[in-house]
Amino acid sequence: MKNMHKLAAVAQMKWLSINGNMTIAMGPLMVVAMVWGFKILYRGFTSDGALTPFLISVLLNLGLTMNICSEGFIMVGTGIAEEKEKHTLRVLMTSSITGLQYFVGSILFPFLFLMAINYAVLLICGVPLTGASLFTFTLISIVASLTSCVLGMIVGICAKNQMNANLIAYPLMMVFMMVPLLGNLSEGLHTLSGFLFTGILTGMTERLAYGETYTLAPIDIAVLFGELIISVLVFLILYKRNGFEKD
Amino acid sequence: MEPNVLLSLSHISKRFKTELALKDINMTLHQGEILGFLGPSGAGKTTTIKIITGQLRQTSGEARLLSTDSTNIDASIYEKIGVVSDNSGIYEKMTVWQNLSIFAKIWKVPKERVEQVIAQVGLTEHAKKPAGKLSKGQTQRLVLARAVLHKPRVLFLDEPTSGLDPATAVEIHQMLLDLKAEGMAIFLTTHNMEEATKLCDKVALLHEGEIVEFGSPQEICLKYNRDKKYQVLLNSNTELVLEQNPENIQKIATWMGHDEIACIHSCEPTLETVFLEVTGNVLNV
Repeated sequence: MKNMHKLAAVAQMKWLSINGNMTIAMGPLMVVAMVWGFKILYRGFTSDGALTPFLISVLLNLGLTMNICSEGFIMVGTGIAEEKEKHTLRVLMTSSITGLQYFVGSILFPFLFLMAINYAVLLICGVPLTGASLFTFTLISIVASLTSCVLGMIVGICAKNQMNANLIAYPLMMVFMMVPLLGNLSEGLHTLSGFLFTGILTGMTERLAYGETYTLAPIDIAVLFGELIISVLVFLILYKRNGFEKD
Repeated sequence: MEPNVLLSLSHISKRFKTELALKDINMTLHQGEILGFLGPSGAGKTTTIKIITGQLRQTSGEARLLSTDSTNIDASIYEKIGVVSDNSGIYEKMTVWQNLSIFAKIWKVPKERVEQVIAQVGLTEHAKKPAGKLSKGQTQRLVLARAVLHKPRVLFLDEPTSGLDPATAVEIHQMLLDLKAEGMAIFLTTHNMEEATKLCDKVALLHEGEIVEFGSPQEICLKYNRDKKYQVLLNSNTELVLEQNPENIQKIATWMGHDEIACIHSCEPTLETVFLEVTGNVLNV
């Protein structure tokens, strides 16, 4: 990109905004704290204090889906909504920042945050990963985190203010987070889960917790990358129609 | 386009669904000139700025900013212009310095210039303060500092002194006159006619989306100076309003000869009274 200094400026601004907003900044830490807390709690359920693979998979799944769904949607979506609310988005867009620079600058730090928390959750759950498993975990984490950030951009582009962003984000979170989490309880939800990027993530956590290598099936690849591409296309359609902010 | 014409509007109209917001707007702005766009709220002032700066598309007509058609404006034009909207749009949790340094990075402006601008707007001692804790006047100075940080050729100001106390408004006026002296062209919207008279080289009176008068404030006021009267205050504390005719001029000359006049004014209409006459509406709405 020719104007890297502009991208860096947007990313810096987003970094300062995340740091200045306790609600957003605390979110990822809450995920880590929650996984840690549940790990201690689950240890009490077993006689030897060691977690069973099933409990590890529950913990890992909870941590990853919660991080990717709630933090991705909220951090990116409410970030844009806050900018609309405080009229800083218009100022930024009339300062020679292009839509692409704003897009990349806005998702850069949230994406890095999501990835860092994903690895932190993995470490807390105590799942040893090497070779192919680590590669698969990283690949799925990257694509899922990116999709989540793009969905967050869609939330932000549709929302008028932060409250509105939360209202739009919650139904999305319910679908992408709860369907895979409750997939074990219902056959229908389990089938539906296979068509969600978070469902692929859940499938992976189950295998990893049992010490197995997760191999991506063609359908998994299609779902993962398909949903990322669809998210980007929806975002582009909305952006072409109204820009980041409708007049 | 003439070389020193930085902005020209030709037959600009804008329709929002059924409402015609702007009707056949024509004007030009030259280098080192302040052009005032006067009208009550809802007259179409902000819409005009948005069209010129490419944030909104006109229904018909042509707007050219720095020789670029407003419909073809891309992000690079904002490196040459400054825009101050009616909302401050500051990052409240960031300090004054951070607010400016972000934009300095965008425009590749050196840190020394940030310091210089902070000093210019009198915010040096507040540089490390969160912008959200500034007073309204200080916030407006910060917004102005941000808009001129990259030394734009044209500055767009939407109601820059709205809601400010008179002392701060005077400071902002002086800053604008200094920028004009540096050669910057300023497009100013306001509903404060005193401000327009004081600052502007040319004003356009806007009423219901239409320019009803255009010219220098003095020209416009003289054009509507039909009564041609003098207001005279004599040493005896008698106040008189006299029509301009040979008899009264003789009277005034006699009083002057006897040093009986304490104060004398010609009674040209103000921009507000002109606006009232032309539109039947009060300007300060």
